Amino acid sequence: MIQVEALDKSYKGAVVLRGIDWSIEDGAFAILTGRSGGGKTTLLSVIGGLTSPDSGRVRIDNIEVWRLPEAELAALRNRKIGFVFQFPSLLPTLHSLDNVLLPIAFSGRSPNSSDRQYAAELLGMVGLTGKEGHYPSQLSGGQQRRVAIARALINRPSIILTDEPTGDLDEKTEAEIMRLFQQIHSQGVSIVMVTHALNYASLGQAYTLKEGRLLPYSEVEVAPAKRVTQGGAA
Amino acid sequence: MREIFYLMRQYLKRKRFRAVVMTGGIVLACATLFCAATLSRGIQDTLRVSRERLGADIVAVPAEAAPEAQEALISGSPTSFYMPAALEERVRNTQGVKQTCPQVYLRSLDAPCCVVQVALVGYDPERDFTISPWELLKSSEPLRNNQIIVGAKVISAVVGVPVKAIGQRLMFLGKPFSVAGILEPTGLGTDYTVFINMDVAYQMVQDSPLYPIPLKKNQISTILIKVEEGLNPEEVAARLEREIPELKAFTAMHLTGSFSLRLRELVNLLFAAGAFFSLLALILAGSLFTLSVRQRMRELGLFMAMGARRAFIFRLIILEAACIAGGGGLLGVLAGLGASALGKDFVTEMMGNMYMWPDAAYFAGAAASTVLAALFMGILGGLYPACRISGLEPYEAIRKGE
Repeated sequence: MIQVEALDKSYKGAVVLRGIDWSIEDGAFAILTGRSGGGKTTLLSVIGGLTSPDSGRVRIDNIEVWRLPEAELAALRNRKIGFVFQFPSLLPTLHSLDNVLLPIAFSGRSPNSSDRQYAAELLGMVGLTGKEGHYPSQLSGGQQRRVAIARALINRPSIILTDEPTGDLDEKTEAEIMRLFQQIHSQGVSIVMVTHALNYASLGQAYTLKEGRLLPYSEVEVAPAKRVTQGGAA
Repeated sequence: MREIFYLMRQYLKRKRFRAVVMTGGIVLACATLFCAATLSRGIQDTLRVSRERLGADIVAVPAEAAPEAQEALISGSPTSFYMPAALEERVRNTQGVKQTCPQVYLRSLDAPCCVVQVALVGYDPERDFTISPWELLKSSEPLRNNQIIVGAKVISAVVGVPVKAIGQRLMFLGKPFSVAGILEPTGLGTDYTVFINMDVAYQMVQDSPLYPIPLKKNQISTILIKVEEGLNPEEVAARLEREIPELKAFTAMHLTGSFSLRLRELVNLLFAAGAFFSLLALILAGSLFTLSVRQRMRELGLFMAMGARRAFIFRLIILEAACIAGGGGLLGVLAGLGASALGKDFVTEMMGNMYMWPDAAYFAGAAASTVLAALFMGILGGLYPACRISGLEPYEAIRKGE
């Protein structure tokens, strides 16, 4: 469970987050929308232990994230959370399988054969069977995103934090990636997704950030023609 | 650690050109430093041995002929200068002087045997302490009147292989001699000198009206002096010049030092170049690592997002720097060794056909010091960017990298 309490965050004097309170149950699919520069990525980063708040608390499974020493915070990011970013985040000199295995290197051990087998399974799950030996330059944007998703899952995290995972993809690929997240969610993984794709707001509990405050997302803001069937959201 | 090496390899694979440029800068700096260090040591060793083989702490010559005498002592240029033999007694009685022996220099000789001009020097084998200890190849018999001892360069200019010269017959001032011994190289005028019995030298001057040499029986050219243990030859030389104004006293240090002046300038130039290239390599390493980290900011931020600790990121950058610098240092040592080998002939020629390589222990020490210096340069260059990135929060690093 993720609990955010009275979270404040400013950047260079500008208040980005004001007194955010947010509770995300285990297995939830939370969607965060809002205008560009509204603080969505910042909120996701504070929750994920990537940037510290000015004040307030973030608890993950009752662990107070921002009270953890640096080493334990890094371990929390490594084991409990999987990140999927919008920008290309694969290492160009590593093939897909080694890119997926990368987070294991940060856990202080080298990947073993069962890790490799699991990484191959994950690549299969995201529809990249047979592409294990492909380098990022040999993959499309959508395929690279799938590798990044598989990588986020390698340490069997209970939470996936994803920031605009379909931002630069075409509609068809976007739909495929969203289905993939639904599939991951259906396996019990909590997902917190920042997205501009309002048509997917109905996939889970949707929120919006307005002037630094978190508000429930209004149903009327979703275009009826683009509404997607909710699958497995808590 | 294995993971860090793995990621480091991946990055260097991607940025080969940058790694090559950085390594190149360090190779240049290290090669110059290593070359300067080994040549400098070689020259120092050579000068030390040269002084030891000169045998005397001080060489006294007639004051009025000091410049040409110095030239003759250093380069072996054939010349003649004389002073009363009685001066030797006064020198021997001077405070600080332990032992003396005289020599007479005969004028330039066009020896039919040799390509190089040689000087003929008469010495007293019974009193000598400068020639005998450095005879490389000598017969067990005392030097007879028809025998000579030759300097290292005299024979090598003619025969090439010294051992074959023993027993060879040579003509000087119309008189035949056989080679009885060869001196080890000194890098001084001795290398171009033919030594004969002093009595024979006087006799030859009398017997050879075709070669007019103004040498009289009661004259000598130089007095070789050994000073008392623990005394400074410079002070004794100064005292000699003060008490016997007819003399000019050159110390061994002065004689070997004057011909090595140009070499010292060369070594200083090499050290200056080494220091300059080191500074350049440091700036290059610092700039390229800073640039590299700036360009990888997002990637390193991502590593942190995936669970990399700050210490991991710090170690990654420092290890990259150390590997590039260490590799550059090793290559620099090899390049410096090659340059030293190439420059050896030049230096040998400048040192009068004598140059001693430093021993293996010195080479090992210099190589280790050079690699350490390279590591220092690289790590110092990587330190600032490593501290900077590892001090950032992952989100900040990712944002700065966008």
